[in-house]
Amino acid sequence: MYEKILVATMGEYMDEILENTIDVVSGKEVEIIGIYVVDISVPFLTPVRVKNMMHKELTLRGREILNSMEEQLQEVCKGIKFKKVLLEGNPAEEIVKTAENENVDLIVMSTGKSRVDKHLLGSVSEKVVHSAPCSVLLVRIN
Amino acid sequence: MLNIILYIIGLVISLIIVVKSADVFVDNLVEIGSTLGISEIILGVTASAIGTSLPEFGSALIASLSGSVDIGVGTVIGSNIWNIAGILGISATVSGVIRTNKKGLTRDWLMTLITGIILLIFMFFGDIHWSASIIMIAAYGYYLHLLIKSQREQNQVNSSEEEKIDESENNQNKRNIDKKTIALVVIGLIGLIIGCRILVFSGVELARIAGIPAMIMGLFTLAIGTSIPELVVTLSSAMKGLHDLSIGTVLGSNTFNILIGIGIPALVMTVPVEPLSLTFDAPVMLFITILLMVLIRAGKMKLNRIAGIILVASYITYAVFRLFILV
Repeated sequence: MYEKILVATMGEYMDEILENTIDVVSGKEVEIIGIYVVDISVPFLTPVRVKNMMHKELTLRGREILNSMEEQLQEVCKGIKFKKVLLEGNPAEEIVKTAENENVDLIVMSTGKSRVDKHLLGSVSEKVVHSAPCSVLLVRIN
Repeated sequence: MLNIILYIIGLVISLIIVVKSADVFVDNLVEIGSTLGISEIILGVTASAIGTSLPEFGSALIASLSGSVDIGVGTVIGSNIWNIAGILGISATVSGVIRTNKKGLTRDWLMTLITGIILLIFMFFGDIHWSASIIMIAAYGYYLHLLIKSQREQNQVNSSEEEKIDESENNQNKRNIDKKTIALVVIGLIGLIIGCRILVFSGVELARIAGIPAMIMGLFTLAIGTSIPELVVTLSSAMKGLHDLSIGTVLGSNTFNILIGIGIPALVMTVPVEPLSLTFDAPVMLFITILLMVLIRAGKMKLNRIAGIILVASYITYAVFRLFILV
């Protein structure tokens, strides 16, 4: 049913996301695109030096996460094709844009923020659900 | 009334000038240092340690040199209380959790605590003179040495061939000091001096018009204002999950504020100690520093939302006592 799947993560709940992805793709020949978006937005008056430092740290983290995702998926699902996408910008917007450009059939991501967290930090998954061009599998984290 | 509005506008504009100028000054100074062959590690650590604290330091120094020493000391102690109770409190409350690295936290926290105790001891013996100042500046030198050593060890663990190639390419590219870089250092420094001067002047005048002690203006308005870089860095890094940067910024800034923010002014002039600073403000600063570690330990080396709320509540309690009961 699904031929191209976009797996989005910000680094948290990787085990749960991968477990669900493996469940969906097991035994099928699918293409998986792992995506990590480096959120480069910073408040006004953030020192440029600190902004650059954050950018570097988050890019390194994104690379590590995508490498680990590829390793774990290739180990369990032999028939899959894996592609890593590391982008910069607004996470929700970039995830939706990539889903559109790559013509994916399914986006897999996690959701688990409390109501307080959603109000204080915002929710990437809520934004993606509202504008995604395809089905979205939200892995609930308790 | 018009005067008050003008001074408040002056305060806000000068704060923006101070923060932006400090940024431009440090960034370009690092570039010059790099061109001159100073180690990237030393430059990186020093810039991180000093960068966000320059506004406090500049205000404390300018205030002391222009005769408003109370504002200077108030800005330093007030900033330190605000940094932990206010900034870390708000960041932990908003982000939900700030994780800590045990080794780095112990080093930075111990240094902040020892620094606070050193200040309290000097204050106990009366006004702070140049002899105390030398000890404070030497202590900061030692702390910088520890930071650089730790960064070197970390870099040895993380070093990869790719990074080495990048570094050698960078070294080859940076041989001449750009005139624009020098100009920006000068502009940053001038902006910092002028901004701090307007900031302190607006603060002193507002205190005079409102009839409140200059120390209070330093402890709250200037302390919170000059800590804007710490607030934006700590909050945004906590929200992005860059926890080391978040807690390290605050503790490093507190150490710098005392050892350099009071140390340097004390080198050129005697810094008077207000009785209430000795009996209330400085002990509160130490209490908040200890409370931070208690809360982190209680949260299994994490500063969680409840701990954040406790810190913010502590700050509000302190402010109410200081503004309405102990004035």
